[in-house]
Amino acid sequence: MKKNKRNNELEEIVNNSEAMCEFLKKMIIETLKLEHVTVGEIDRYAPLFRKGLGLDSIDALELVVAIEKIFNVIIEDEEVGKIAFASIDALAHFIQKKYEQG
Amino acid sequence: MQWVETEEIVRFNEVDEWGMAWYGHYMAWFEVGRLSLLRRFDLLPKQMVDLGYIAPVINLQCDFKSTVGSGDRIVIRTTVAKPEVAALTFKFEILLKENRTLLAQGETTQVLLTTNKKMIYRLSGEFEKRVRNLVNYCSQE
Repeated sequence: MKKNKRNNELEEIVNNSEAMCEFLKKMIIETLKLEHVTVGEIDRYAPLFRKGLGLDSIDALELVVAIEKIFNVIIEDEEVGKIAFASIDALAHFIQKKYEQG
Repeated sequence: MQWVETEEIVRFNEVDEWGMAWYGHYMAWFEVGRLSLLRRFDLLPKQMVDLGYIAPVINLQCDFKSTVGSGDRIVIRTTVAKPEVAALTFKFEILLKENRTLLAQGETTQVLLTTNKKMIYRLSGEFEKRVRNLVNYCSQE
């Protein structure tokens, strides 16, 4: 996808860390259907897997698909996933960086 | 959905004290079905390893509908669900051959790892091609 064809609204979110973290929290809740979790309950700096939000490997696969669909950013494997999914904040930075590289 | 069918005979050592096939043994029959399907697409466990991948089961589900005894002939039906993520979900049905009574139905989900145990989030190369062939075959109407 060419940069100039990208959704301006999405670009605005990606470039604003605060808005991006909120967006990602919502995306995670919706994608994984976490009915009992609210945006306010997710700590921006807490790990997403195991101890933090307690997500598992299938959750990671679903998030990878959602991220690719929304941002056109690819997370190939667990090695990259470890960095990208370290926290909401880390995921926001990861996507911002990849998004800029287009 | 396209299913592959394999036949087995319930052996004496597969039934419990009540004369019924032991519940845990259905998993072994699932495995028979899985291998006969994977064989067609050059995706047997050894062939996966040769490509650098393994696919451990992370979820298993089974409903038992009817019982079967020693000497009975069964049909194991196997297919793969169209994947939405980089994982493989096999679906199984076990029928009594005689009248096609449904004995059990279940499924397993496998994630994909490299042989050095790194989980992959998207498939590529020859492995992707073979998995795509398998999925396309099973998705046929």
